[in-house]
Amino acid sequence: MAVTDEPLALTTGEDLVVDRPLGVFTRPQGGKGWRDWLSTVDHKKIGIMYGVAAMFFFVVGGIEALLIRLQLAAPDGQILSADVYNQVFTMHGVTMVFLFIMPLAAAFANYLIPLQIGARDVAFPRLNALSFWVWLSGAIFLNTSWIVGGGGADCGWFCYSPNSGLAFSPSHGVDFYALGLQIAGIASLVSAINLIVTCLNMRAPGMSLFRMPVLTWMLLVTQFLLLFAIPVITVALFLLMFDRLFDAQFFNPEAGADPLLWQHLFWIFGHPEVYIIILPAFGVVSEIIPTFSRKPIFGYSFMVFSGIAIGFMGWGVWAHHMFVSGIGPLSVWAFSMSTMFIAVPTGVKILNWLATMWGGKLRFTTAMLFAVGTVAMFTIGGLSGVTHALAPADTQQTDTYYIVAHFHYVIFGGGVLGLMGGLYFWWPKVFGFMLNETWGKVHFWTMLIGFNLTFGPMHVLGLQGMSRRIDTYSPGFGFAFWNLIATIGAFIIALSVVVFFLNVWKSRRDAPHLPAPGPDPWDARSLEWMIQSPAPEHNFDEVPIVESDDEWWHRKYGYDENKNVVRIATIEEATQKGDAVGVHLPAPSFWPLVVALGLPIIGYGLIFNLWLCVLGGALVGLGIYSWALEPVDDPDADHDHGHDDHDDDDDDDDGEGAEAEMADATAGAEEGAD
Amino acid sequence: MATATVDAAVDSHDEGGHDDHGTTTGISNTKLAMWVFLGSECLLFGGLISTYLLYKTNRGPGPENTVIPTDVFDIPFTSVSSFVLLMSSLTMVLALSALTRGDNPATRAWLLTTAMLGGVFIGGQVYEFTSFIREGVGFTHNPASSAFYTLTGFHGVHVSLGIVMLMSLYVASKQGKLQPKHTETVEIVGLYWHFVDVVWIFIFTVIYLIPVD
Amino acid sequence: MSDLFNVRRRGTGTGLLLALLLAGCASDAELDTLEPQSPVADEIWGLALPVFIIAGVVLVLVCGAVLWLSLKNRVATYEGDDEFPAQTAHNNPLELGWTIGPAILMAIIAVATSVVHFSINSVDEENAMPLTVHGETVDWEPTVVVVGQQWWWEYRYYLDGQQITTEQLADQRNLPPADIVTSGQFAIPTGQEVELIITSRDVIHSHWIPALNGKRDAVPGRFAPWKIEAYDPGVYFGQCTEFCGLSHSRMRMQTIALDPPDFQAWIDEQMAPATFDAELQAYVDAYRAGEPAAVDDEASAELRGLDVFAAQCASCHLVNGFNDMVNGEPYDGADVVSGSAPDLTHLMGRTTFAGGILNLYNEDGTVNVDDLARWIRDPNGIKENFADGLADGELPRGMPDRNLTERQIDDVIAFLITLGPDADGWMIDATEVE
Repeated sequence: MAVTDEPLALTTGEDLVVDRPLGVFTRPQGGKGWRDWLSTVDHKKIGIMYGVAAMFFFVVGGIEALLIRLQLAAPDGQILSADVYNQVFTMHGVTMVFLFIMPLAAAFANYLIPLQIGARDVAFPRLNALSFWVWLSGAIFLNTSWIVGGGGADCGWFCYSPNSGLAFSPSHGVDFYALGLQIAGIASLVSAINLIVTCLNMRAPGMSLFRMPVLTWMLLVTQFLLLFAIPVITVALFLLMFDRLFDAQFFNPEAGADPLLWQHLFWIFGHPEVYIIILPAFGVVSEIIPTFSRKPIFGYSFMVFSGIAIGFMGWGVWAHHMFVSGIGPLSVWAFSMSTMFIAVPTGVKILNWLATMWGGKLRFTTAMLFAVGTVAMFTIGGLSGVTHALAPADTQQTDTYYIVAHFHYVIFGGGVLGLMGGLYFWWPKVFGFMLNETWGKVHFWTMLIGFNLTFGPMHVLGLQGMSRRIDTYSPGFGFAFWNLIATIGAFIIALSVVVFFLNVWKSRRDAPHLPAPGPDPWDARSLEWMIQSPAPEHNFDEVPIVESDDEWWHRKYGYDENKNVVRIATIEEATQKGDAVGVHLPAPSFWPLVVALGLPIIGYGLIFNLWLCVLGGALVGLGIYSWALEPVDDPDADHDHGHDDHDDDDDDDDGEGAEAEMADATAGAEEGAD
Repeated sequence: MATATVDAAVDSHDEGGHDDHGTTTGISNTKLAMWVFLGSECLLFGGLISTYLLYKTNRGPGPENTVIPTDVFDIPFTSVSSFVLLMSSLTMVLALSALTRGDNPATRAWLLTTAMLGGVFIGGQVYEFTSFIREGVGFTHNPASSAFYTLTGFHGVHVSLGIVMLMSLYVASKQGKLQPKHTETVEIVGLYWHFVDVVWIFIFTVIYLIPVD
Repeated sequence: MSDLFNVRRRGTGTGLLLALLLAGCASDAELDTLEPQSPVADEIWGLALPVFIIAGVVLVLVCGAVLWLSLKNRVATYEGDDEFPAQTAHNNPLELGWTIGPAILMAIIAVATSVVHFSINSVDEENAMPLTVHGETVDWEPTVVVVGQQWWWEYRYYLDGQQITTEQLADQRNLPPADIVTSGQFAIPTGQEVELIITSRDVIHSHWIPALNGKRDAVPGRFAPWKIEAYDPGVYFGQCTEFCGLSHSRMRMQTIALDPPDFQAWIDEQMAPATFDAELQAYVDAYRAGEPAAVDDEASAELRGLDVFAAQCASCHLVNGFNDMVNGEPYDGADVVSGSAPDLTHLMGRTTFAGGILNLYNEDGTVNVDDLARWIRDPNGIKENFADGLADGELPRGMPDRNLTERQIDDVIAFLITLGPDADGWMIDATEVE
């Protein structure tokens, strides 16, 4: 593009006034305080908001978990009624999956993908803001069912029909589930499109696909899984919603419908969802272990291709959730076989991490502890997974606590521990101060011990025959001892989370008295460590030219004639100073927030009064059109378009043009049929 | 749509229109995003079509409300409206080519024609729905009817959104803001439009033409 | 099934060891999956055990490697350390090795799995047993139709010597009349493969007797084939394992395995209609003729109880010989969502009630009148349900509170106790739920 100093002269000769035909506001300027956060389109701020909100819902879901454990601590528990218990375990699952771990992974994806590929921002900054606000409004909407919906959903996170039908779940809980997850789904879908385009299109010169860090790769695979999984759950949720709100006959066996339809649709989404949860953590671990082994990741291409293989194979195993549903012995057999072989690429990853540690110099920072803990804990989850890939064995194990143990070892032991390690690793990059290592280690060990005490005994309980989703058990079943241990473990996990928050508080308080961490406190390997901490708003002063994988490491180190590693530049010399001026950044916008506010209003409207839908729809429509009609830049803002960022500039502007179109098409497709 | 074009017009320093030298793949972000989005849409319609195929002969336990859509299909009528929709893809191409030539009146004419053909299709669908309901196929009657209305309804909503986009482009062109440099915007709307058409060909074949035995 | 994977009954050697290890301090758990008591359960455990062992070995190797590498290679800091370890980043033979190696291991496991899978899903076509029904000997293919509903299990026996098929069952809400209908507990002959046909009248449930076989979902509109068998006479506990709504955790059941002669005796008992003494019989006859007699306060508790039962319970609960045919109209199901309530014809022949959660007998063999009274007084308090305070036209799910007086409750219990014959003492001992 050509850079103009004139105030945006139009080729058509029209006056600037037409740029705001609806009297639209000028684009807000990057100010201070809450307005800045509400209108930001900066991928880093959006990432931080994802993270903060995810941690909030971690606490919510954690409180629900503690209630479950209190109820089950002893036989014939009386803490919760059966009704409340069913709501609590449903919302625990929904919260932890959709409102904690997915957005926490989204926080990493948003913050780190552009930095790791050397980009100024994501491809569509405003769509990025839209994703966050839509997700948040969906999350809040979902939880308001406690207050206005007559309780939370009580159908389990898997919400099998016909138990989820109006006849068997008459409160509004399931309606909130169906609509809330649809809203959150829009967010995931928009975000997936955005990040895929970012990964494919916004890479710095020289950043070929196979130079991308493993984390970015795993996040990219995750986005593809989301891209294809979200529409399937959207279909399922639409059908459920039509059944409940408009008397359709998709899942009502009385009308001849087949309840297994829901199970297929749900698990076609639900199994890739497992990899959506776990792959980002795999990526995080693949960044941390090499850094603290002082070695490159072992078998980069195998790491990447095993991730892709998991992504593909993840689509062919969904019915292993349905081995006892009565889908027929041949189907069960086929899915049993495919499930066993998905263990292979997963094993490749584990062995490559071990090979990375092999011969390395392991420095056990908190991040490294979490990463190594993830490898060990995920291995347990993976191996128990193999035991129920055997369809015959699964007939004994499914829907027992053995499965609860298994997927917590995968999701908590793999996903949560991994992402926790990521928090410690990237914290200085994001906030400009380090988390206290001593407290961090206390956090790690309490969490690891609490985790194993909670979920380890569940293997035993499951094999002893304790069913899932029961709110009570008899003393004669012999479940009391291990349940008590699990409950104690759960409170130790809670303690570890408290330690984490205290650590954040303390580290922040102490930060001014400690030396700043600098751009690269860990002697790390990828591009995000090349810029100052916290990352400057414009990311890179100038877009780096990438010449190898682990680009940043290779800017610091080279090899002498004996193939020994020698330092060729200090961090100080190699970093960008973050002092570039006049870098043209996408202007903030309030419209994503407005669109996001409209969606839950449509949701309430569908449940309580259809007129509200008109209001919500109007808000969404207004938001989308105003969004598209608002100028790309604030014309009043002082622009000094540096020639050097010519390319990025063009992307942003160009991108935002049809961004609205995308929003229109996406949001429209999702909610249009209401 | 209008939004996009106004945007682009405003963005006057974007002289090259949609030059793509800025992206790694050489495809512009917006176009790539539309392709990716359409990939996702395939699964959406895949799920809905599968649901319909599962239920297409499911009359429920009866004896009430057992008329299913296949009983009342009017194939000649739907063939005509399908043909209309197909033709709209042609006019969409003509609109794009007119814009590339810089022929704004022709662009507008073809855009309007495309939108109107889409409108005729939607009108046909509304007529079809009402006549089916008159013949006793209610949305709530049995799994087959619920699946039929949901699938075709979803498609109808997609076509309607396409019409909104086309009309927005038309208005933008009317205001002189749709210039040859904006061909990619039209192209992207066209991608969406062609996709919706292709999906209909699939739906028409699978639902209407393959006989129920 | 090859002997390789077939751990002998009750598990021997490593099996027992591992079972004890895993079962920890509660090896007497009633629902334990590690103490198989049937050929199918043995086959499953015989497959699972070697895989558990393999998984255990892999676990020890991986976690051991993690631990060993962590201890061996750890350094305190990189501060002042300019020496880097060898920057080995790939080794393709190694990579291929640990791709192909696990794949081969999985392939071996896959073969074993396939063998067991098709074995446990096969049906023994040649297992008819002779049974005397109405004085005639029939060849019975042991089959039990299992029907789940919120929140109890119904078991239906078709004994006419014809194999009942899913085509005949067709509609789970209108199953063909069965020779025996019982709930919460069902009997099977030992040493016989018994086919189960599992369905549901409302939501999805899952039928699971861990000692005898894995589970199989009860899906409304579907009839899932499954099978169980028990080596020895005894009581085998089960629990609904698919989340089925409010009182999912209070939906339990037991399998009573009986020697073939005992099984024949059980069949005979269950086939008979309820019997009444002369006083009750007169009331019953009048009731069946559509002219219920008035019962005054001076009547026996049993008769007063029968009168309460007729007024308050008989619209849902069936007692064969009483309300199965009234005024020429057959019993047409219960006015609840599932359309079914437990058949009480031989209530006292069972040892549990209320969906398998309460004991019908005390340890000393007397009837557990206290729990029966508690249950009738406040069903929702014992097992949460949706049966009270309903809107107009809404059907209950679960047993409603009929607001009986204490005296009515005592009377109705007195009547229920007549619905014998009583369960055997060994069953009472064996089924005691705590």
